[in-house]
Amino acid sequence: MPTDLDLLQGTLDLLVLKALQWGPRHGYAVASWIRTTTDERLQIEEGALYTSLHRMEKRGWLEAEWGLSENNRRARYYQLTAAGRKQLGAKATIWTEYASAVFKVLETT
Amino acid sequence: MRRFPGLRRLMRIDRGARDVDRAVNDELQFHFDMAVRDLMNSGLTPDEARREAERRFGDVQRTRERLATIDRARAGKQRRAEWWSAFAQDVRYALRGLRLKPGFAAAVIVTLGLGIGANATMFGIVDRLLFRPPNLLIAPDRAGRIYIPQAYRGKESLNSFLSYRRFLDLKRGTTSFDAMSPYYSRRMAIGVGNATRQMDVSVFDADLWKMFDARPVLGRFFTDAESTPEDPQLVVVLSYAYWQTQYGGRNDVLGESIDIGVGKYTVIGVAPEGFTALSPNAPMGFISTAAHSHDRASTRGRPWYDTYNSQWFEAVARRKATVSQAAADADLTRAHVESYRRQLDEQPSLTPTEQARPRGFLAPLLDARGPTPSKESKVATWLGAVSIIVLLIACANVINLLLARAMRRRREIAVRLALGVSHGRLIMQLLIESTVLAVAGAASGLMIAYWGGAVIRRALLDEQAARQSLGDIRQIAFIGLVAGFVGLLTGLAPVFQARRTDISGTLKAGVREGVVYRSRLRSGLLIMQAALSVLLLVGAGLFVRSLRNVNDVRLGYDADRLLIVATDWRGMQLDTIQKQALLERIRERALTLPNVENATRSLTMPFYSNWTIDLHVPGIDTVAKLGTPSLQVGSPSLLATFGTRLIRGRDITADDRAESPRVAVINESMGKLLWPGQDPIGKTFRVNGDTTPPITIVGVAEDLRRQNLTDPNPFYYLPITQFRFSDDFIAVRTRGPAADAAEAVRRGLQPLMPGVSFVTTVPVSKLFAGNTRSWRLGATMFTVFGLLALVLAAIGLYSVIAYNVTQRMHEMGVRVALGAQARDVIRLIVREGLAVVLPGAALGAIAALAASRWMQPLLFQVSPRDPAVVTTVLATLIVVAVVASWVPATRAARVDPSEALRAD
Repeated sequence: MPTDLDLLQGTLDLLVLKALQWGPRHGYAVASWIRTTTDERLQIEEGALYTSLHRMEKRGWLEAEWGLSENNRRARYYQLTAAGRKQLGAKATIWTEYASAVFKVLETT
Repeated sequence: MRRFPGLRRLMRIDRGARDVDRAVNDELQFHFDMAVRDLMNSGLTPDEARREAERRFGDVQRTRERLATIDRARAGKQRRAEWWSAFAQDVRYALRGLRLKPGFAAAVIVTLGLGIGANATMFGIVDRLLFRPPNLLIAPDRAGRIYIPQAYRGKESLNSFLSYRRFLDLKRGTTSFDAMSPYYSRRMAIGVGNATRQMDVSVFDADLWKMFDARPVLGRFFTDAESTPEDPQLVVVLSYAYWQTQYGGRNDVLGESIDIGVGKYTVIGVAPEGFTALSPNAPMGFISTAAHSHDRASTRGRPWYDTYNSQWFEAVARRKATVSQAAADADLTRAHVESYRRQLDEQPSLTPTEQARPRGFLAPLLDARGPTPSKESKVATWLGAVSIIVLLIACANVINLLLARAMRRRREIAVRLALGVSHGRLIMQLLIESTVLAVAGAASGLMIAYWGGAVIRRALLDEQAARQSLGDIRQIAFIGLVAGFVGLLTGLAPVFQARRTDISGTLKAGVREGVVYRSRLRSGLLIMQAALSVLLLVGAGLFVRSLRNVNDVRLGYDADRLLIVATDWRGMQLDTIQKQALLERIRERALTLPNVENATRSLTMPFYSNWTIDLHVPGIDTVAKLGTPSLQVGSPSLLATFGTRLIRGRDITADDRAESPRVAVINESMGKLLWPGQDPIGKTFRVNGDTTPPITIVGVAEDLRRQNLTDPNPFYYLPITQFRFSDDFIAVRTRGPAADAAEAVRRGLQPLMPGVSFVTTVPVSKLFAGNTRSWRLGATMFTVFGLLALVLAAIGLYSVIAYNVTQRMHEMGVRVALGAQARDVIRLIVREGLAVVLPGAALGAIAALAASRWMQPLLFQVSPRDPAVVTTVLATLIVVAVVASWVPATRAARVDPSEALRAD
């Protein structure tokens, strides 16, 4: 298994968008969710993750708001906007098609 | 803090940046705290947990900076978006406000539209005359027209017409120029047979192409090698427009043959779009000087390129970048002196060099900036200034309207201020309102410029200039600039007022207690409007009188009923006898046409051509020292056809045949010139040498003005039977206006013309029109602008007085209640109107007198201080002022005191 996967930026954005699909989360929750969901197989620098969050906020795909965390601390919560939701759908489709094409190639032995 | 607004702004930016940094820090701090806690929960020591968290995160410092950068950009974007939405809201608010008061909006938009439209129109003309260099010209600041002044009888004349030999002397004798070429434009016959059309053709040397950044879109341009004077190739480069319209942009046009004038030219290329050389509009094509001159007759035995005696073109040149203007002029002067010496060697009778003082210089290409600007361009420049005055008057009106509105809205403004709207936002709101008005005004101004401008240019200016495209980028930019300026100017006054609004005072006071503002600003504006109106109307009056004087000048012939019939042989080989016979047949045929009253052969035409030959009078040493009488030769019906009155003696008759004694009719000016104080009838003179048969003067005719409107020319008439020329015109006297009959006469005469030759008919009034154009332009435009100014000033006065009257209804009620008669109230208010108009009128009259010095040269036989004009204008203004204040005054007089006192 690749331990140091050089993730395309678009893929990172896709993962972050997916992590926010079910409601607002703060940065740490997004990072934890990705780590556990991928069984820690994707080694993502969390710094890059925050950059992705802020960049998508600037693009208007996410909205951020200060709120209280489960342990009553001030945390910055991110939430998908309508544009973000659309992006998630589009990126997911592209990625799936891409992956299945690559997979098809690999299957022909 | 208020004392250091700059400091405050600086701090705010600082705070914004700190906010972003703090937020990023907080967010990351939370992340690390959570990560460390979770890792410790899974059994790591605090140190291990921190290291693991940092490892997972990557470069913390770089991430922090990157996040801060992204956030700052986002914050900026957001601020801009907020500003735009506030702006859009203000615009919407302004539009809603205007929709609620459509009368007010319409008044302002129309007023501004007239002012801006006038400016846009004049800008188009003034720009063309003064600022815009010819299209595609390289380094317009170094290009210029060559002038070669020389003195004659102690007076220097600013000559710019050259002979080709002089041109060659200048070109070879100078080193300061990297291009030099003749440049002129001629109307030439294009094509043959029924399709023959007359179109402009530009003529120059191959050197001129160098001055332009132009490449042929097809084929090539003509070269020096194929335009040598001795053996020119007849080749033509078509203009893009002609190529498109006549050949549909076909690529195989190269090599085609076109009849131009008397030559068959081969098409060798097509010039790029927009290239018009130095002409205002695209000609049909471009040919070389040598090609155009290939059939030019030799002068005194010398070919056209080797004589000083035939000057027919102006020349342009571009000085090298390394040479100063002064050095280039000195170089030209040197070359001209040298050239003049050479001419003197051949013609020793010329004025000696020391007296002629030949010199040379390069003048700007644009006629209006050159040393001899036409009257029209001077008048147009004046009108440019005048249109700015109209705009100022329009602005003054709009400011007045906005001020009145701002006062009516004092309460609204006070409420908004009390509700916490910032002064800045309020000012922005007012400025946006005035800018919205200005933009709408600019749009209506553009329409006025489009429709009105086209009419004005066609009616008053050169047909050439009339076709200029409107709505070009410079004009649009100009209008945008003017609109912005107007928006700011008209918006500032109410802003100024709003800033001083005292919130609690205004809110507490009722409408009535609101102080009656008879603001000094508004009175000042009215005074200025009145003054400017007087200034413009005086100008209008002076030009109208000039035009009337011009039209009243007795020319010595009936320009309106004269038609010139000119023949173009186009290289038909006819000898003199055949031509004479044909011309006589044309004259006889013309007499049979229904709308022709009379017809004559005529050697020359007024405002078109002039002939002089050596004159010898017994007892006078050299006639040329006294002046140079011009010669006219024609049929016996000549004076009758032209409508020139015979004063004494007899006319030339059919009995003056070739073999009878030679006779002449002279005009009064010639009599005064050569035989002052004597009766010229019976005197004799000789022409063309002093051994020819003597000519006896048999009659004296009235004076003629043939070259300009002011000076009569000394003139004499010879019968065509006794003085033959190979070629001449036919003048036709029509029954109605000549312009109406021109086409019918042309169609009636054309069948007589053999082969490719043809006739053209031109009304003399058309040739003459160029000479009166400057006055027509001045009279029409000054009148239009003057009346516009007057109407605007009247509206301004009316609106201010009406507003004041509404404000003072209470006071009027008191006056009426105390027994004032309607007449007293009216007198009171009209007197107030006059109190602002009279000082303004006086100011305007003084300004008009002050400007008279510069006006004088543009007028015709009118003093710029003409008392009749000034008095009429002042009287008009006073009448208008009385009427404008009378209407609101009667309203005040009708006030019902009980109602006025009870209100509010």
